[in-house]
Amino acid sequence: MGLGQLASRALLRSARLAASNPHHQFRRAIVTTPELHNSAESAAAEAHPEPDLPKRNPVAGARVHFPNPDDAIEVFVDGYPVKVPKGMTVLQACLMAGVDIPRFCYHDRLSIAGNCRMCLVEVEKSPKPVASCAMPALPGMKIKTATPLAKKAREGVMEFLLMNHPLDCPICDQGGECDLQDQSMAFGSDRGRFTETKRSVVDKNLGPLVKTVMTRCIQCTRCVRFASEIAGVQDLGVLGRGSGEEIGTYVERLMTSELSGNVIDICPVGALTSKPFAFKARNWELKGTESIDVTDAVGSNIRIDSRGPEVMRIVPRLNEDINEEWISDKTRFFYDGLKRQRLNDPMIRGADGRFKAVSWHDALAVVAEVIHKVKPEEIVGVAGKLSDAESMIALKDFLNRMGSENIWYEGNGPNPNADLRSGYIMNTSISGLEKADVFLLVGTQPRVEAAMVNARIRKTVIATNAKVGYVGPSADFNYDHEHLGTGPETLTELAEGRHPFYSALSNAKNPAIIVGAGIFGRKDKDAIFSVVDNIAKKINAVRPDWNGLNMLLLNAGQAAALDLGLVAESEKSIESAKFVYVMGADDENLDRVPDDAFVVYQGHHGDRSVYRANVILPASAFTEKEGTYANTEGCAQTTVPAVPTVGDSRDDWKIIRALSEVARVSLPYDNLSAIRSRIGTVAPNLLRVDEREPAAFSTSALRPEVKEKPDAAPFTTVVDNFYMTDSITRASKIMAQCSALLKK
Amino acid sequence: MASSVKYLRVPPNSASLAEARRRVFEFFKTACRSIPTIMEIYHLDDVVTPSQLRSIVASEIRKNAQVTSPKVIDMMLFKGTEELNLIVEHSKQRHHILGQYVLGREDSQDIGTKEQGSEFLKNFFRSNYF
Ligand code: SF4
Ligand code: FES
Repeated sequence: MGLGQLASRALLRSARLAASNPHHQFRRAIVTTPELHNSAESAAAEAHPEPDLPKRNPVAGARVHFPNPDDAIEVFVDGYPVKVPKGMTVLQACLMAGVDIPRFCYHDRLSIAGNCRMCLVEVEKSPKPVASCAMPALPGMKIKTATPLAKKAREGVMEFLLMNHPLDCPICDQGGECDLQDQSMAFGSDRGRFTETKRSVVDKNLGPLVKTVMTRCIQCTRCVRFASEIAGVQDLGVLGRGSGEEIGTYVERLMTSELSGNVIDICPVGALTSKPFAFKARNWELKGTESIDVTDAVGSNIRIDSRGPEVMRIVPRLNEDINEEWISDKTRFFYDGLKRQRLNDPMIRGADGRFKAVSWHDALAVVAEVIHKVKPEEIVGVAGKLSDAESMIALKDFLNRMGSENIWYEGNGPNPNADLRSGYIMNTSISGLEKADVFLLVGTQPRVEAAMVNARIRKTVIATNAKVGYVGPSADFNYDHEHLGTGPETLTELAEGRHPFYSALSNAKNPAIIVGAGIFGRKDKDAIFSVVDNIAKKINAVRPDWNGLNMLLLNAGQAAALDLGLVAESEKSIESAKFVYVMGADDENLDRVPDDAFVVYQGHHGDRSVYRANVILPASAFTEKEGTYANTEGCAQTTVPAVPTVGDSRDDWKIIRALSEVARVSLPYDNLSAIRSRIGTVAPNLLRVDEREPAAFSTSALRPEVKEKPDAAPFTTVVDNFYMTDSITRASKIMAQCSALLKK
Repeated sequence: MASSVKYLRVPPNSASLAEARRRVFEFFKTACRSIPTIMEIYHLDDVVTPSQLRSIVASEIRKNAQVTSPKVIDMMLFKGTEELNLIVEHSKQRHHILGQYVLGREDSQDIGTKEQGSEFLKNFFRSNYF
């Protein structure tokens, strides 16, 4: 809730009180926000008790869904009638009526605690003001949000809250985006009466990510509820009572959750703030850029806050279909990796084995010369985890023009199934998982592979008691699950109906099977997929109204790579290659490359593959370029440049476009829109940004029969360190600290 | 050392274009003579050679080749002399020299390696933003 909004509301109220005042016309003239005009009119309208009041808009465009139209009840908020479904609270009804009630402990996605009392409103016929967040709206209720009684009550609550709150706003990182600050400006008293000493509370150690200043805590318990309800760790709790009440970990323990960073956002005061961001910047100096995350295949929506050329922090952006309003700790804190180990100049490895910085002109000339000296079948291109669709299509087009068909995306394994889109995306969609009632996880640990998908599964499990069966190596889950087995033989048992979990699956209305992309690396993957298809067919998981057969991808570029058909003719070709073009692929094993091969590394970090490179072409990272990424459910989204590029680096697709011209096989696109229309001819779904395009067919009916049986080898852990999965996170100091804790 | 240019003062206006032209050459020679000093006081040896500096000065002068009015030439000469004085007196810092005269002038420097190719390629070699 912004200060401006609150303050303007406070102003508005005074304007309304002054409705009988002949000067109120003048007051109206000095307010400029449309919202205020609106209410000034309504103030005028209030004078005549006619029912045709001007329509007020719900706060922040909130919408209600009436599950059953008969359940609608009508309440009056400041005289406005609103229809809300039964069971909504008074606070929600006020939101629908366009009145934002001040609050601290209430949060849309958490259970109701009702302990801050900031949301007091007056209800006709009730003797005392009521806490609107905890009071269900009843038919015909007359709610008054701006009466002197309600205001007095809020002022009193503010006074109590501020009694023990330190006056350290000037050195507090929350300053400027603090609910307590905003609301005390808008609703608080203009003087203090408190002369005693304030209490102080020992700070708690919550690990390398969350900084605590517990004296600032107002005991709203949002963090406690978040930890137990969303993150699924019972680490935080309330200790003591009355003035001795504290938030803390019961024993000296760190918060071990991949979502712990979100408590920073939900804490309404500066008690929990970001440790890496501490004292680095003030939030009003930051420029926010709405972008997306590339550390996993979820594509969480983020806002990149930058100051000058530096990314200062990353915070989540609301997207109900993907990440709701949370992001994982990796997404939130890996940004310091963008400042370390960066490649900033084109470089050529000299005869002495050392890199020498050269001009772009020379670097491209060398690469173009070498690529013409090798045979087309000896040219190989590998796109890396973080590649965007534009650069992948450029790489593919360029190497195709050179005569090579061997371009692939690292981590997709040999011969990935790229023909049928339903075979590699999450068909149910991330938000659709909430409708599932039984989950079968095959060789995937969503908690480390895609933390936001895991949060969604957890939400479903908690809300509907959905069952979860898991096949894979022993793993840490934060919800109830059954570990069915470790290898493909369990799948065979399930497919044949011999396994006890089969009855749960077959009785399920909406079963969801989630297969991890780690399977792509296995030799017997076709056999495994056919077993999974069999299960899906048996339990009727793929129907016109429900597609419960999902792949959970691992990397940001993976879905787009498969959409664009970055599939090698044969991955063996790298062992006989003479020219290898590595576009940010740091997890590809370059030891297989023959010693006399010429390796070009294009990327933004001096990570693993650079050690083998002959030429380095510095590229821009995702915070510096505009690029299209498709997430695991097939939703295309674009990043937006937030900061300038580092050194002399260039955008990935531009490098390839320029190289193609130097190599005299010019690619026919000169700008983003041209390259995007080229993408449109291959994978039109990548152009429909921010929209999820479901796959046209389902695979199971179309995949060829596979005769051989899957190996007995158990599934392996795919991501062994959640915090370090790609070149940026490996360069990050904060992620290194987190991994060190993980190993302990 | 610096004394050669230190006491230059405003000369009377040039009477004709020919005289202005002669003065330009004189100025160029003075500038060329102070190049070794400039190289020394700003430690330019590792970034630029004297001959490059000379061609930079020449290209600065050629930028205004189209000017024919002796008055205007005099004015620009005065400004040039002033600039040269500032440089020679070490009133500037190294990054001023680098930023104004040395870096970002690839166009003038590698005239020999003149770029063939499309607009895209030329822009690409210049910067990432186009
Ligand atoms: S630490 Fe923050 S979120 Fe937790 S109870 Fe205190 S004020 Fe609320
Ligand atoms: S928001 Fe209602 S009591 Fe805290």
